[in-house]
Amino acid sequence: MNAPRPPRIELECGPVSALDLALYAAASGDHNPLHLDADVAKAAGFERPVVHGMLTMAFCGRLLTSHFGVAALRSLSVRFLGAAVRGDRIVLSGTLTSVDKEGMATYELAGHNDAGKELVAGTARVSAPAHKAAP
Amino acid sequence: MIDFRHIGFATQPSTVAVDPWRVQLFCQAIGEADPIYRDESAARDAGHPACLVPPTFLRAIEADHCSAAEILEILGIPVASVMHAEQSFEYHAPVHVGDRIEVTRTLTDSYDKRDGALTFIVLDSHFRREGETVCDSRQIIVVRNPKE
Repeated sequence: MNAPRPPRIELECGPVSALDLALYAAASGDHNPLHLDADVAKAAGFERPVVHGMLTMAFCGRLLTSHFGVAALRSLSVRFLGAAVRGDRIVLSGTLTSVDKEGMATYELAGHNDAGKELVAGTARVSAPAHKAAP
Repeated sequence: MIDFRHIGFATQPSTVAVDPWRVQLFCQAIGEADPIYRDESAARDAGHPACLVPPTFLRAIEADHCSAAEILEILGIPVASVMHAEQSFEYHAPVHVGDRIEVTRTLTDSYDKRDGALTFIVLDSHFRREGETVCDSRQIIVVRNPKE
């Protein structure tokens, strides 16, 4: 099975709002005030509250699932290179680097904010799409 | 440097339910609108037995079990001095809304870099459903140590 794989996939998310950060804190259980409280963020040297790294990674997940579906995702791994802050847009891309003989595709991932600051780099493996059973 | 006695520390397994409201809140937070995460008939139409969860959702389950903040407290490391350095997931089977997932976390490794200015802590999580491993994940945390 040699399903065609797009050589490049892209997704732009945000701008990340205070509400997004509050919802993510509640959903994820990460209530670190660095993400929610402007004073705490300022004291830590950030202009605005910091976007949870795991929210940026969740956007990486969307980059992949929007193209391949969640069930095809075999692995997802990222390194956090820099922090996005509230109000940033997050621009993600995946570049196809290989497809093995079982149809498993490997994508190299990269993400930056709208100012061009690098946020994440990573890798994902996506299995060959399964044939949908006839209804 | 963390106390080496903590390397190999593992949490007691506990079971966390994948509640539909939690998955919906998570989807809302990450801007995910696909109905396969909330609408059972949409999930079945796509060939799944029940609604799925987004790829990084298991982190929420993991925090219910034992958050990184709780582990840092055990290690005596202030949360303000740490950053999330790396995160990875290996998926073995799809997780569905309504599943009950057993979670354990292990402090697998710790090492210093830059002459002790930075300490890395490697935490591995294992997610099982009725004895079957559905996901393995790894979180690497970096601690900025105060100058001596």
